[in-house]
Amino acid sequence: MSEPATPAGTPTGPREAGLSVACEGLSFWYDEGATRVQALRGVELAFAPGTSVALLGPTGSGKSTLLQLLRGLLRPDRGRVLLDGLAAGQEGYDERERRIGLVFQMPEMQLFAATCRDDVAFGPRQLGWSPAAVDEAVEGALAAVGLPADRFAARHPYSLSGGEQRRLALAGVLAMRPGTLFLDEPFVSLDPASRRDLEAILRELRGGGLGLVLATHDVDRAYALCESRVVLDAGVVVDAGPWRFGAGGEDLLLAHRLRPPFVVELWRRLGRRAAEAPPELAAAAEALAP
Amino acid sequence: MSLIDVAGLRFRYAGAADEALRGVELAVDQGEFVAVVGANGSGKSTLARLLGGLAWPGEAERAIVCGHDLLSAEGHLAVRRDVGVLFQNPDNQLVGATVEEDLAFGLENIALPSAEIARRVEEVLDRFGLRALRDREPHLLSGGQRQRTALAGVLAVPRRVLVLDEPTAMLDPAGRDEVLAAVRDEAERGLTIVLVTQEMDEVLLADRVVALAAGRAVFDGPPRRLVADRGLLGSLSLGLPPAAEIGLALLERRRVGRLPLTLDDLVIALQAGRA
Repeated sequence: MSEPATPAGTPTGPREAGLSVACEGLSFWYDEGATRVQALRGVELAFAPGTSVALLGPTGSGKSTLLQLLRGLLRPDRGRVLLDGLAAGQEGYDERERRIGLVFQMPEMQLFAATCRDDVAFGPRQLGWSPAAVDEAVEGALAAVGLPADRFAARHPYSLSGGEQRRLALAGVLAMRPGTLFLDEPFVSLDPASRRDLEAILRELRGGGLGLVLATHDVDRAYALCESRVVLDAGVVVDAGPWRFGAGGEDLLLAHRLRPPFVVELWRRLGRRAAEAPPELAAAAEALAP
Repeated sequence: MSLIDVAGLRFRYAGAADEALRGVELAVDQGEFVAVVGANGSGKSTLARLLGGLAWPGEAERAIVCGHDLLSAEGHLAVRRDVGVLFQNPDNQLVGATVEEDLAFGLENIALPSAEIARRVEEVLDRFGLRALRDREPHLLSGGQRQRTALAGVLAVPRRVLVLDEPTAMLDPAGRDEVLAAVRDEAERGLTIVLVTQEMDEVLLADRVVALAAGRAVFDGPPRRLVADRGLLGSLSLGLPPAAEIGLALLERRRVGRLPLTLDDLVIALQAGRA
């Protein structure tokens, strides 16, 4: 299969075209002792290949559960997941499921190997790749997260800073060459500089064509990184689509324990059109003082 | 009179090559609200644990908290009664089957008479807006409600100092506002507060901010002075709150006269500039 060259900084090697992820009537219950608590209620969503989507909602709204269902770590009680239009059990489904890279909350808690190289190599080795392919994937992934192999591959993961550890955990997922990346609260507990670094890496990955689904409370970063958003509350999709600021999008977020992004609020307060608030602070400053 | 008076405080985790704290200095007066900031791994959480008597200091020139000497076995235990610690994840701190039971738990542990326990539970139910939730199961509450319950549980026991370790990190924006409002109320009631945080807009709520880097205090002063020091912020892996980040660009272009720190500041400065 011939491939366009991937931009510098993205995981190297052939990455197949993006992956479409959808679900129909997805419902899920957790067992809480004797009672069953419904976490998701008939969720219908479709993420086109290569798109970046923010999954927003209050704590306990079902964001993490939804990511795990879409990735096949949980089985739906009702409904189904469709990957490139295929349902579980159909030929090609499992291979597509593996191409969803899921980065858990606080993923650095799961670092376990004695070197960064071995930690990142774990996934590719599990997939049975040749040693040369594993090496290439590891080096590409380390480069993509700003931990170049020549300086970091031999280091112990615990000798890295907190922000570097999180990026290393991300490299472990990128090494398996996902077609789309799910991130569960990736900015929580990072210091401001580490958040900026991670945001820049995600922007670069998105620019390289990787699909992003970003479950987060950080509305500012969600707006800066994602072209559309899904609002989930109490297991129900309340709205999905473009941000719609200036057309009810602010109230929708406020009604679900979220808030509008800082720049949107600033634009509104200045009497400017909220829909035109630039997603990034630097662009906002530029617009205010050209 | 300092409630917290610590100098030369050192700590090393078992098996760790480097010390987490390498001679920290910290003095906090009665009624002060102090924010503690620093990069991941700078020692903030370790300091919070030590102040609450939850870890044993390696060594110190001086480590007095609420009159207890943390270096002595008795002081190290006694300080736990006077200093309440609230962590990031309320689920690690909630133990009761209902909100009310959870609030009584700490009071039962210090063996108060049951009438006194009931009185204190009623008091914190009101103070933290939890009365309507008293019979609810904590794990079914919103994140903000869970963290407020955990905070009320910590403060049901009379405390002289409240230490908070990134208490809003896991909360949605509304939950974050709820918890910060509760913390501000406690500050206004005169409780001494040490708030460990990564959020620069939370730093602005404090009277004073202490910045840690590699286990040492490298800044101690008003929040506005820290935010104005770009070089220091960068070296500490910190950043500006969004209003100040935009404000800085405007300041450089002489569109505003002084660095705005909050949304209100920024809007006022821009409107004044236009007038």
